[in-house]
Amino acid sequence: MNAIIVENLHKKFKVFYDKGQTFKEKLLFRNRNYYENRWVLQGISFDVLKGEAVGLIGENGSGKSTMLKLLTRIIYPEQGKIVMNGRVSSLIELGAGFHPDMSGRENIYTNASIFGLSRKEIDARIAEVIEFSELGEFIDTPVRTYSSGMYMRLAFSVAINVDADILLIDEILAVGDASFQAKCFNKLREIKRKGTTVVIVSHALGQIEQFCDRAIWIDHGVIVAQGTPREVIPQYLNFMGKKYDKTPEPAKSNDGELRVGNRDIEIVEVRMLNDGKESYNFMAGSRVEIEISYKVNKISEGSIFGIGIFRNDGVHCYGTNTFIDAISTDELAKQGKVRFVVEQFNLLPSEYTLDVAIHTEDGFFFDAIDKVKKFSVYSNIGDIGVTRLDHLWHFESDK
Amino acid sequence: MISKFKEIYLYREMIASLVRKDLRGRYKGSVLGFFWTFLNPLMQLLVYSLVFSIIVRVEVEKYYLFLFVALIPWIFFSSALTSGSGVILNQKDMVKKIYFPREVLPIAHALTNFINMLFSFIVVFIVILISGVGINFIALLYLPLIMLIEFTLVLGITFLTSSITVYMRDLEHIMTILNMLWMYLTPILYSITMIPEVYLPYIQLNPMTAVIVAYRDILYYAQVPHIQTLLSAVIMAVVVLVVGYLVFTKIQRYFAEEL
Repeated sequence: MNAIIVENLHKKFKVFYDKGQTFKEKLLFRNRNYYENRWVLQGISFDVLKGEAVGLIGENGSGKSTMLKLLTRIIYPEQGKIVMNGRVSSLIELGAGFHPDMSGRENIYTNASIFGLSRKEIDARIAEVIEFSELGEFIDTPVRTYSSGMYMRLAFSVAINVDADILLIDEILAVGDASFQAKCFNKLREIKRKGTTVVIVSHALGQIEQFCDRAIWIDHGVIVAQGTPREVIPQYLNFMGKKYDKTPEPAKSNDGELRVGNRDIEIVEVRMLNDGKESYNFMAGSRVEIEISYKVNKISEGSIFGIGIFRNDGVHCYGTNTFIDAISTDELAKQGKVRFVVEQFNLLPSEYTLDVAIHTEDGFFFDAIDKVKKFSVYSNIGDIGVTRLDHLWHFESDK
Repeated sequence: MISKFKEIYLYREMIASLVRKDLRGRYKGSVLGFFWTFLNPLMQLLVYSLVFSIIVRVEVEKYYLFLFVALIPWIFFSSALTSGSGVILNQKDMVKKIYFPREVLPIAHALTNFINMLFSFIVVFIVILISGVGINFIALLYLPLIMLIEFTLVLGITFLTSSITVYMRDLEHIMTILNMLWMYLTPILYSITMIPEVYLPYIQLNPMTAVIVAYRDILYYAQVPHIQTLLSAVIMAVVVLVVGYLVFTKIQRYFAEEL
């Protein structure tokens, strides 16, 4: 059974050059009311099965958030239709209608009533909401005394306990601390298990991969691809990667700060290859090569090639060089390429930067470039941490 | 249409909580608090009866009562014109960001002011008792009916003013003037019999005329209102509600984009 049917949806927004709001302005400056029609959605159709979790992905301005607003019924399409079967709840605007002077408990009633719950239904859920919010005795103090974390926890608890048939989510889980986020995520899984249909708009592709059964990639108001996240996300990342590669890389601007060394041996180009093709988005566990093209300007002894990989939060994930690995570079050609090959690139999903350097044993730099490349890793396995450890699970009985 | 009513019924708790919040929040922080609900109309009564029975000297027996039984229903009606026009605009943040049947907002507003009128009626009855006019209990049976008719009318007007204001912000200010004009075109300060015959048909086109006449029949003259009065009140109120509702549903689709 379909929970959501979307058929040939078109949506435009009027973009006014100079909009008159008042009667006088409308009357006097009629010619100012020129506007441009911007078609944000141009024929979107999809169905969502009952109990399915669907992720909408796409760049900023692709139309995915507009799509979600249409599903929420805040705005209406110019053409096409939407059928939603069941009660809809949204985790879009948390804490709607919260009154700062009223207590947390009173606000639960107000807020839940906006989702269309009757008093009886709220009474039945209130204990669960309070428990989930972890507010304890604070529940009877005015909401204005809450910290922003407490506020969001309360709001999220209400929205998640509505028991909707369809749940719409925009950029989940920016709520509270890490442990509360984990709790929210678990709650979402539980809700999904119970058969709730979920539609998520998110830039966190990892979450979509972990949570959704299907991903729909929207670009410029049309669906580019849809299928399992495993199929769609690499296509999307590839597309984004190509766009990203067009933007100038820090290494190409010789601004000295990122690059040091006397250039006796010079780094000409750095590329990353994934399964033989240049790419900066790869699946964890795939084959990755770092290719350093160099040129010897002045013959020098004892050159060492090194690489370093940093995660976007600054964690130094890995670093090594030809000296540590006891690779001889005595017979270095005048010009050539050095390849650092990783058969199984096991860093986990995140964004990383790559440093490369050519230096002597005692740390004198011929050429060193920080953050020469940025790259990101995605995965369809939910393991967490910095790197994936090659592992097996064994079960043995003691008898 | 039917499904819309069902949905609004589903959201009854939201309506109730909006009404509660409004009633409780209205006088929050003021010393006299809820007492203002009674004090405000009493003060208006004092001013008008001073002017019209001592200075202008309208030839009506017990003018203060004559005026009071019409003034309280008028205050209810004028809420649709003044504060009612801003109900969608004031809830901008909610309307822009979450879904709920938009009809809930005007309904809650009309209900809040209706309840306020009911509270004021406590004072009305006290004034009637003090005046010694007496109460006709058979006529009194018609009071809930005329209140219901007025509620219908107020709801219809609120649908109109609140939705159109979203597109034309001036309406809120225009309404203040219209409110004053409308009051003087309704037989509140004067009796319908004082209107020159030539203008009478026009005055009767005013949906509030029949409503006020009926209130006054019941509470001041202590008699059952004419069936004609009731009929024209019902018809006009229903027409206004239907038109108001249709306009509202037609233009509410673009609220979120306009706000």
